[in-house]
Amino acid sequence: MNTEYTEAFFNSFQNVMPQLGIESVRLIDIQDIGSQIHTPEVVCIIGIIGDLRGNVIYAMSADAAKKIAGTMMGGMELDEFDEIAQSAVAELGNMLAANACTELSQIKIKVDVSTPTLMVGTFSVSASAERVTRIELAASDFPFDIFLSLEKR
Amino acid sequence: MKEINIVVVDDSPFSVAMISNILTGSGFNVIGSANGLEEAVEAVKTLQPDVVTMDITMPGADGIECTNAIHKVVPRQKVVIVSSMMDEEIIRRAKKAKVSGYVQKPVDAEELTLAINRVMADEELFIELEGLYTTVFKEALTDSFNKLFKTVPEFEAEFKNNNAQVSRGISVVIGIIGKYSGRLILDMSNETARHMAGTMMNSDALPDEYIVNIVGEVSNIAAGNACSLMNKTNKLFGLRVAPPTIVYGESITISKSDFDTAFSVTAQTTFGEIFMNVGFNRGEYQ
Repeated sequence: MNTEYTEAFFNSFQNVMPQLGIESVRLIDIQDIGSQIHTPEVVCIIGIIGDLRGNVIYAMSADAAKKIAGTMMGGMELDEFDEIAQSAVAELGNMLAANACTELSQIKIKVDVSTPTLMVGTFSVSASAERVTRIELAASDFPFDIFLSLEKR
Repeated sequence: MKEINIVVVDDSPFSVAMISNILTGSGFNVIGSANGLEEAVEAVKTLQPDVVTMDITMPGADGIECTNAIHKVVPRQKVVIVSSMMDEEIIRRAKKAKVSGYVQKPVDAEELTLAINRVMADEELFIELEGLYTTVFKEALTDSFNKLFKTVPEFEAEFKNNNAQVSRGISVVIGIIGKYSGRLILDMSNETARHMAGTMMNSDALPDEYIVNIVGEVSNIAAGNACSLMNKTNKLFGLRVAPPTIVYGESITISKSDFDTAFSVTAQTTFGEIFMNVGFNRGEYQ
């Protein structure tokens, strides 16, 4: 794995989550996996182009997504992961990726990001890169994964 | 060239006069002014300016709050902040309020003119994109199918809404990046995907992994062609595609996305139905 850019994505998580009211953020593990990602329930996919090319995929359970969206919406308890909550999680992906861009620019890696696409359900994801880096995290004790399917130009 | 109409929002009559002078001297039409939130909203509603210049520090609601109030009435109103204040917090709030530009006081005539011209050029470019991309993306899918399979899809009527969609089985997501960012989704049933991949590889018994890859590749070709066609029409678009991510499984809902412009269309192909959704957002100011 490339520790340089992996760190930027981890840092962005550490920077952004507390700003949204999620104080407890923990790194569990970083490992390389194959291109097949078996994800829990909610993913936010964002394209990346520039000195790196690929995608970043934020993945979480529906419960985690509800918790995060609820916190973002001012500390609400959400029963359902409805349209507004989904929009909040898409916005979270946007913020995380944009913040990672800023982190990357500080180590002279220039990238731009696409708009986020949010998918909900029971599914697998096939990433474009042969090797994907999985950053396994916890946000308010809910598991949260960042998958990096990136190749250097 | 089209005349550009501007409303100046500032609580100081002196500033209004000075900014108006600069704008008029640069060939813009100043069609009104406002000294606070209510007047600003009223002016935008009745005068329909192309651009609003906005002071930040005003008694009562500040410039960002005014901008938010204006956007509630006219979501796409172009607002250029003209203010002596310019710290990180204000820039962060300004970006969040979808401000189109920022000029610091004391106002430099050239800088303000440039900012407004840039905003107007961006708007024209986005309108050009809006006018083009539906046809271009459909054409690109048709061309790709024609080249790869010697058959062309038949499109049903496209629609502009961008509501949540239940996937037919396999969804390919391709991020688009350039002057405007966006994404393309091609969605089809497993059966359609198998049929398409099988025709391409001339085999009935392809492993699932192959099918997923081929569907990704076909989508990639179509998206790449579409962006090249867009760039050929106007190189300022500078659109590029990220590699495809393919989502497949027993139940997938594609959430509604917040786009400034989007369309969805269903294409009938010899392999079955393919759903295409493309959306773009205006960029934030840099």
